[in-house]
Amino acid sequence: MKKNFKAISLYVAAVIAGVASLTSCISDADSPGLEYTPDMYRSPAIEPYVDYGEFRNKEHVELKSQQSAMRPPNYSIPFYGSDSAKVSMMLPYHRLASSAAAVSHGLNASEGWRLSDSLDVEYNKAKADKNPISLTADNKDAIFGKGKKLYTSMCAHCHGEKGNGEGPMVKSGAYAGVPNYKNLTELGDGQVFYSIYYGKGAMGAHAMLLNKEEIWTLVHYVNKFRFDGYGEEPVMEVEALDSTAMTETIVE
Amino acid sequence: MFRGKSKWLSVALAFFLYSGTFLIHAQEGETIFKAKCATCHQPHKDGTGPKLYEVRQKWENGGAKAGSLMQWVKNWQVAAANDAYAQTVSQWSPTAMSLFPDLTDEQITAVFDYVDAQPVPGAGAADAGAFAMTETSEQENNTGWIWYILAAVFVVIILSVGGVRRQLKMVNTNEEDRLSYSEELRQWAWVNKKYVGIGTLVIVLALIVTLFLQLYTIGVVTAYQPNQPIQFPHDIHAGKNGIDCKYCHNSVEKSKSAGIPTVNVCMNCHKQVQGNDDNQTAQISKIYAAAGFIPDGGGQYTGETANIVWNKVHALPDHVYFNHSQHVVVGGIDCKQCHGDMTKQNELPRVVPVEELNEIDGNIPLTRATLTMGWCIECHGAKEIANGPVLDKDRDEHKHGYYDEIHQRLMNNDKALYEKYLEDGKVTVKELGGWECAKCHY
Repeated sequence: MKKNFKAISLYVAAVIAGVASLTSCISDADSPGLEYTPDMYRSPAIEPYVDYGEFRNKEHVELKSQQSAMRPPNYSIPFYGSDSAKVSMMLPYHRLASSAAAVSHGLNASEGWRLSDSLDVEYNKAKADKNPISLTADNKDAIFGKGKKLYTSMCAHCHGEKGNGEGPMVKSGAYAGVPNYKNLTELGDGQVFYSIYYGKGAMGAHAMLLNKEEIWTLVHYVNKFRFDGYGEEPVMEVEALDSTAMTETIVE
Repeated sequence: MFRGKSKWLSVALAFFLYSGTFLIHAQEGETIFKAKCATCHQPHKDGTGPKLYEVRQKWENGGAKAGSLMQWVKNWQVAAANDAYAQTVSQWSPTAMSLFPDLTDEQITAVFDYVDAQPVPGAGAADAGAFAMTETSEQENNTGWIWYILAAVFVVIILSVGGVRRQLKMVNTNEEDRLSYSEELRQWAWVNKKYVGIGTLVIVLALIVTLFLQLYTIGVVTAYQPNQPIQFPHDIHAGKNGIDCKYCHNSVEKSKSAGIPTVNVCMNCHKQVQGNDDNQTAQISKIYAAAGFIPDGGGQYTGETANIVWNKVHALPDHVYFNHSQHVVVGGIDCKQCHGDMTKQNELPRVVPVEELNEIDGNIPLTRATLTMGWCIECHGAKEIANGPVLDKDRDEHKHGYYDEIHQRLMNNDKALYEKYLEDGKVTVKELGGWECAKCHY
């Protein structure tokens, strides 16, 4: 009699244990769970965005919560092939940032930014800078196509698809004060480049997001908004030449 | 009579003219403000330049000389040299105001009239970008435990009834005929051996299937949704404000990794966007702390920066090579194929389950769990490369690039194989070696 009673309570204990083990399977959103072959997720070859603070069961305090996506050393130039025109276009920008850029745009000298002594001398000088990518009848479709792609992903959310300063950011009311490119006709190409590179006013520096070739391509594309018919006539800058010269350049 | 009439007429005419000029005046102010001033100045908020609302009053109260403000707008350097108050204003920000020598006094007055006419934003209306981060871990089913208790109660009832029945039965039998539990079970199993046999087979098979299904879930993280240092709502940034994924994840077209935006990318907008409510302000102030930015006044960088440590969500084992630029640039895959529709995502980032990915328009439907090898090769077997960048006219660098070369080689080397590939009307990644082990494992 006593023995049987004990057997029943054993069953009950088993059921309770089973229920308890089932309910204990509540997931913790902060943990990726048990890792099968855990070292596979922390590569010995350094990968970006991996925390190497704890690696192969060893703790590395100096690496904990540290940046693993590093910037290349200052003034280093990536390899851009052997085309001298392209390589020289990719050389570090020769114009220095405004003397106020550290305070106004966070371009600190300690991080490799070179600041000039004056507020706007370099910016004013940039007015004379020419776009190293020349627009010809052959390449203009490709350049505007590339420019449009870049503009759509890098600029259009503020400046608007049509360059009127009414991008979705402005329309949603989150941001204000984006100029219409139509009103910026007195800027030189070099000044547009300078503004994209180092930032201007409320706009931040985009030198980290775009390389020089991409910015010069954007300068061409933005000029389409600034000047009606930009790039449509075969030769833009030889207005003063006579008609024979014009036809020659068109043939070229 | 006549004289009186003409008097009224002239008054009406004067009024008409006055209101007309007033309208033109206000319109001119708005046009000039938007074209020349709004880039740096806002009516009610300091930006690159100070707010302009009632600025004339401010200068007058500050003790500026008459006409000094007009001079400032035209050429601030001249004004600062001649007026002590203008000198102090020039200290407001290290950036220099542009010169506007072409503006007339009337035009400047029109701008100030326009700015002063702008309504002060109401205190209650500031909910434009309110966002709610849903804490998914708290959304788990809270009534589940009731079922466990009910089940336990039923089990106890069944066991007790069975026990009582057995006790009653034992009372009626002799001492030596009484059976232990295991003897009783064996006896019962022998009597019903057909059913017990089938039942056992089913259970064993089910266990084997379960084992294999469980093995498939190794390395599949479904519930991993770690807290992040900043509550970043993707739906506001990519959805409502229409920022392209590639603006922030800007290495996606150039590198293996899509990239976590650096703080300076955040600051490109958040220099001005400072939050509409307490929660937003608290979150955005974390960016300022990392960027070393003081938003007061016009906003200044101190140069003291810090790191923001985000928690990585998508992890691939070391023995797999995955390259974002290959998939986005060459393959022409949209972000949403693997990451889901981030324009609607307002919870913490996570690995989006394949069922949700399949619901999105334009995605290739897949069956295996996201980020598993089955999922990858399933897509490699389905993704057609003919619709990729080969036909993309905007990308001149690919027009006669990699895939065309492969098509050419196939046609020249093994025409029969090429035609076999084209039997189903498409060339997939698999047919170009997308299922080769060394494509991803090396």
